Amino acid sequence: MHEMSLVESVIESILDLKEKNDWKKINRVTLKIGKMRQVIPDIMEFAYTAASQGTELEGSNMVIIQVEMEFFCKSCNRRWGEEDMAFICPFCGSSEVEMLHGMELEIDSMEVEN
Amino acid sequence: MAKVVDVKKSVMEADEVLAEKVRSFCRDRRIVLVNLIGSPGSGKTTLLEATKKYSDIKFAVIEGDVETARDAERINALGVPVVQVNTHGGCHLEANLVNGAIGEMDLEGISLLFVENVGNLVCPVEFDLGEDYKVAVNSVPEGADKPMKYPHLFHKAGAVLLTKTDLLPYLSFDIDVFEKDLEKLNPDVPFLKINSMNGDGIKEWVELLEGWVREKSSR
Repeated sequence: MHEMSLVESVIESILDLKEKNDWKKINRVTLKIGKMRQVIPDIMEFAYTAASQGTELEGSNMVIIQVEMEFFCKSCNRRWGEEDMAFICPFCGSSEVEMLHGMELEIDSMEVEN
Repeated sequence: MAKVVDVKKSVMEADEVLAEKVRSFCRDRRIVLVNLIGSPGSGKTTLLEATKKYSDIKFAVIEGDVETARDAERINALGVPVVQVNTHGGCHLEANLVNGAIGEMDLEGISLLFVENVGNLVCPVEFDLGEDYKVAVNSVPEGADKPMKYPHLFHKAGAVLLTKTDLLPYLSFDIDVFEKDLEKLNPDVPFLKINSMNGDGIKEWVELLEGWVREKSSR
């Protein structure tokens, strides 16, 4: 259950941005989280609602966009997803593999009022 | 009026700043920081005891647990410098806790520092502590399916240890499955089989650690 730690960190960042940009209100914060990150969106959103209570963010909501895993082979230029989760290319066997998506963990955007 | 603004900011920013502080502390002192991650009961503390018992390598330890100082007492009994960190419910260590702990330690003459994370295969992987290497500790009784069930840890690991290998004859642990899955997730990772009870595999483990220390001290 590391979602609460992540949420606390997100709240800190949002409050910081809110103050710096002089936004009156935050309506919504959207996060992009890759599937490799082992975050459960429902728990994260629930933790946000709980942790934002009593702060300037009370009433705002969190939306999580889950990003599917995508792997890319630099040797044969092919791509594959979580069904073949591997850092060895299932097509040519090369280990020159890059993970294009699935590790995201970022605040993507916010709906704010100024 | 409501508007949508692009943020594109890492959720981990605060942790990353502190992890960098730990990293820079260890870089200046040429200390290799090893983050031990494994389930509760996988044999992390016993591995550290065996490392002390069956080798001459010098090290210090930061013990992370939800409650109690039991692990730190075991390490302290061996004359190894140790600090206990309790998270009181927290399922993982974060860089701020490690940063606080290193401030309490006398690390004179120490070139290897272990952080024994809270027993858990999920959350500890997500938080950078400023370590040089994460080491995954998987014991035989946990079963051979753990790499694919917890891919992030096994992908990120700088070494993978299979502990309690003395139990292999008694349990249906399919080591071929384990090794094949591990190869998919982390093709070149050092994989060591260890029995902390009699020291089997500790020699190879210590050689790996000494290599890491040599590499860092020559940087």
